[in-house]
Amino acid sequence: MPTASTSFFGWVAFLLQKYGMLFLRGTGMTLLVALTGTAFGFLIGLLVAIVRATSPMPTLGRRSAAAAVRGALLRAVQLLLAAYIQVFRGTPMIVQAVVIYYGAQYAGMYMDTTFAAIFIISINTGAYMAEIIRGGIFSVDKGQFEAAHAIGMTHWQTMTTVVLPQAIRNILPSVGNELIVNIKDSSVLNVISVSELFFQAKSAAGAYYRYFEVYFIIAVIYLILTLTVSRILRFIEQKMDGPDNYVIHGSQSDSRAEIVVSRENAEEVEKRWNQ
Amino acid sequence: MEPVIEVRGLHKAFGSHEVLKGIDFAASKGEVVCIIGSSGSGKSTLLRCINLLETPDGGAILYHGRDILTDGTINMPKYHAKVGMVFQQFNLFGNMTVLENCMTGQMKVLKRTREESMENAMKYLRKVGMEAYVSAKPRQLSGGQKQRVAIARSLAMDPEVILFDEPTSALDPEMVGEVLSVMQNLAQEGLTMLVVTHEMGFARAVADKVVFMDQGVIAEEGAPAEVLGNPRHERLRSFLRSML
Ligand SMILES: Nc1ncnc2c1ncn2[C@@H]1O[C@H](COP(=O)(O)OP(=O)(O)OP(=O)(O)O)[C@@H](O)[C@H]1O
Ligand SMILES: [Mg+2]
Repeated sequence: MPTASTSFFGWVAFLLQKYGMLFLRGTGMTLLVALTGTAFGFLIGLLVAIVRATSPMPTLGRRSAAAAVRGALLRAVQLLLAAYIQVFRGTPMIVQAVVIYYGAQYAGMYMDTTFAAIFIISINTGAYMAEIIRGGIFSVDKGQFEAAHAIGMTHWQTMTTVVLPQAIRNILPSVGNELIVNIKDSSVLNVISVSELFFQAKSAAGAYYRYFEVYFIIAVIYLILTLTVSRILRFIEQKMDGPDNYVIHGSQSDSRAEIVVSRENAEEVEKRWNQ
Repeated sequence: MEPVIEVRGLHKAFGSHEVLKGIDFAASKGEVVCIIGSSGSGKSTLLRCINLLETPDGGAILYHGRDILTDGTINMPKYHAKVGMVFQQFNLFGNMTVLENCMTGQMKVLKRTREESMENAMKYLRKVGMEAYVSAKPRQLSGGQKQRVAIARSLAMDPEVILFDEPTSALDPEMVGEVLSVMQNLAQEGLTMLVVTHEMGFARAVADKVVFMDQGVIAEEGAPAEVLGNPRHERLRSFLRSML
């Protein structure tokens, strides 16, 4: 048991020993809600972005009443989605958490706090992701949409096979950033008693009135989490970019078969090839 | 002979700007039609309407005599497969290799198997001389190579007609020849082609018919020797002078 003269590090060691498990569980909960919330948020954002990027008169140039009705319906849904994005980006997540959690109770629905946490992070993140992914979709040049339509691919096929793979690669840094934001900002969910890291810290700090030491420990844990996640994301980005060179295939009798070409020597190799 | 593609009274406006003011023309099977005209005369818009990348405001586009704008029985993906398009900016799919670029449409739209698609893709990549680059990504290719792959991608759908919108305008001069010679071969093999081009030499040598567009209408059309050699309109004459 520490005394009044115990040093800062003495307290840290004591608190880690006493509350280590508690912090670990809190870390687990933080990671759980941040990861699943970001994943669901990504899916929500993807759907919203696809619907918002659908033009009212897609590939079929047919003029018909049915097409007009579909166009009007699409526009109505697009308006609703725009409102969703505005509301969730325009209010703090801590307020959203309280309104949704207690609002649901008002309506007679008592949510499990973990479920509530994931739900709130998901729809909050979804609103941000929708805008990020929309930007990603527009970063793929329009010509590729047109080329895909010109060979008869539907809007959905174009999106899933041509546009989204490139859009997602382009926005990966922003998606990673959302995950990091969620790891940190899930701390606001302590207002609805989600047992994440900050919430556990609050109870540990109160027990001995050692606020500085406890929150110092917590800060270090958050920092380790976010640094690790950034590293992993950087690695995934590099993986997705693939190799920067390719292999020229020739006939087996050809001595020039299987030449590895990089962007730099491509033209030289082609000259040899054409000789 | 019955035309493959026929355009009747085609109108298209962007806002209050009327770009196509009633276009009529037809292309029969195996015909090569070169469309010439100054910038802004509506050449791209015409091709894009035929391909339904733009929705026309009026008129008809007949494919084997059926209006694609009103005939509900035409299967649109199939129509797109039958009427291919090659763009000035190549527009290859950046996330796919050369081979995948030529396979995706076959598998997704024509529902061909992977093996069939690959075989067919290879056939056309060989035709355009790009079979050695199957595993390259578009960003690793020169402009001329990209355009040849784009042509192979179009051909792999086994189209009846290919629309070319200034296929060599974005190329360095030394690469124009390789693309034009591929197109000339296709013309000789009997592919129906609508080609928007500024290459008067190509039009003279390969076209069966030259169409001069001016301010949203077809001002003059006929055999290349006639239209290019003996232009009747002053605007065509000054356009041809500016091409020299
Ligand atoms: N999506 C669009 N929205 C508004 N105006 C457009 C659009 N597309 C084309 N236009 C206008 O229509 C006119 C005709 O364009 P188009 O691209 O068909 O000309 P073009 O004959 O192909 O010219 P170029 O030789 O420069 O390619 C131009 O004035 C252009 O600004
Ligand atoms: Mg044009």
